[in-house]
Amino acid sequence: MEHQPKALYCLLGTFTKTPEFFEAAGKVRDAGYKKWDTFTPFPVHGLDAQMGMKRSKVPMFTFCGGLFGFCLGTLITWYMNGWDYPLIVGGKPFWSPVFPFPVMYELTILNAAFGTLLGMFVMNMLPRHNHPLFNYPDFVRSNDDTFFIVIEKSDPKFNREATEAFLKEIGAEEIHAVEA
Amino acid sequence: MSAEAVATSSAAAPATSRKNPAGIFLVVGIIGLAIGLGALVMGIQNNDSRLALSWLVGFTFWFSVLAGMLFLTQISYLFDAGWVVVVRRQMENCLAAFKWLWLLLIPVIALPLLMDNPGLVWRWMDLDAVVPGIHHTTVGNDVLYLHKAGLLNVPFLIGRLCIYALVTCGLAFLLRKNSFSSDLEINPKYYKNCRKISAVGIFLTAFTATFAVFDLLMSLSYHWFSTMYGVWFFALSMRLGIAATAVLCFHLSQQGRLKGLYNQSHAYFLGCLALAFTVFWAYISFSQYFLIYNANIPEETFWYNIRELNIDGSKSAWWYVSMGLIFGFFVIPFIALLWYPTKIKPWRFRTISCWIMFMGLIDIIFNVVPIQEPVDNILGFQVLPFLSPALLVDVAVVAGIGGICIWAALRSAAKQEPIPLHDPRVLESIHAAE
Repeated sequence: MEHQPKALYCLLGTFTKTPEFFEAAGKVRDAGYKKWDTFTPFPVHGLDAQMGMKRSKVPMFTFCGGLFGFCLGTLITWYMNGWDYPLIVGGKPFWSPVFPFPVMYELTILNAAFGTLLGMFVMNMLPRHNHPLFNYPDFVRSNDDTFFIVIEKSDPKFNREATEAFLKEIGAEEIHAVEA
Repeated sequence: MSAEAVATSSAAAPATSRKNPAGIFLVVGIIGLAIGLGALVMGIQNNDSRLALSWLVGFTFWFSVLAGMLFLTQISYLFDAGWVVVVRRQMENCLAAFKWLWLLLIPVIALPLLMDNPGLVWRWMDLDAVVPGIHHTTVGNDVLYLHKAGLLNVPFLIGRLCIYALVTCGLAFLLRKNSFSSDLEINPKYYKNCRKISAVGIFLTAFTATFAVFDLLMSLSYHWFSTMYGVWFFALSMRLGIAATAVLCFHLSQQGRLKGLYNQSHAYFLGCLALAFTVFWAYISFSQYFLIYNANIPEETFWYNIRELNIDGSKSAWWYVSMGLIFGFFVIPFIALLWYPTKIKPWRFRTISCWIMFMGLIDIIFNVVPIQEPVDNILGFQVLPFLSPALLVDVAVVAGIGGICIWAALRSAAKQEPIPLHDPRVLESIHAAE
């Protein structure tokens, strides 16, 4: 069954020169658009700041994961060696923070890594199996030689004519309406 | 590509022409060294090891700062790092202090030997000294000394120290010479030379730092041995070197020399390195403790016992110092540096860097000062206490040797461009992005 595009999803402006594209991204940010994105064939340093993006929240997931792992390691070593089945090994105390530290530390790292992975999925709203932008037949150009600025219809400031004029004004070479 | 760099540097030039504070540091250095020297002579005459150890504490502190900078300079060349170029020139200026530093080691080695109290700092230097903890045994009859006598004897020690001085000063000279030459002549060969020097030098520096702390610190308790000790010192030196570099660069960017050249990205990268080596220091320090704790062999555990227990089995002040190191030198900097704003906000990063340097000094005191002295009690020894007026002498010697080192660095900085103008990666560094 072929997918039938129906309603407008976004307006897409293309750029071929990095400085113009970079300036244009700043203008979209200053115009107050919220639901918009950029697509580049290669990493452009400083683009996140230019787009007005805040720092990622993923480190909080990492920290919480690490803290959870540390507590988990402490709990299982204390429960197993100090409480449930006290056993003297090598003349050491039943439980002290020294001998099980490798367990606590490894679980900290493991769960911090899990937290990071989970945080990346949550913050990126993954997994998703398709994206409406793929309906634009030349999407692959963003991996080759073209920069995209995409302003979604769901943006409160979006207005078909005004936004199209705005994209033209900031220097977009082609403007396409993508439907979903 | 250098034209832009030249323009930037000439814009910064008027600010550099303001009065050079090198003279102030020279005066502070001489006053501090005079106090330290007086304490050292008093210690030799009154047989008070603690006063003499202050000099070793001061030397070790600045040795670790400079060794860290030497490591970081060479590592940055080896990784061909772009961001670091602006920062590296400041470290190269500091490396000028190496020759003075080694000269300043001479008093603590030579004076006890010349003033007829050879075993005052390193007990093994006096074969007639009584071994602490073993009644009626002298060093010359101590089987553990005799086993190590091939290494631990004064002529060989002095020979080794000369090699360490030669290696560090030689590398500092070569790296500085090539970097400064590139300011005068646009030629990528100087950068390539530095990379080649670093490829060999990083190994030489690692061996030098390792054996220097084996000789100067580990042999204070010559019965004890730890294979982690050299790595511990590497971790410590990187932490102190990075912290000192960060403080220096923030200062220079505010004072004018690096205004607009040292930006948030450089601070962020230095902050990431500071965080990494905070974790590495904790990992190594804990591993050393952990292996000795688990193996539980008396030849090794005594080193931690004298840093934990009084003669009656209660906790000594050193135990609180060790707890202070765990929380103050690991937990606080670790949690602080995890936060992004700590790495980029100048006053936060500068505060945590100063804190790291302060706690680094405490770590050095923890490693140097608690040595055993023979007394007539059930253990046969007593341990030098943490709290003593000699802590003030420690501060004086740190200020003294530091004054001379900073004076040497400022003298070098006054003659050189603020950044390497024709370094192949200088523009990459000025425009470094996180």
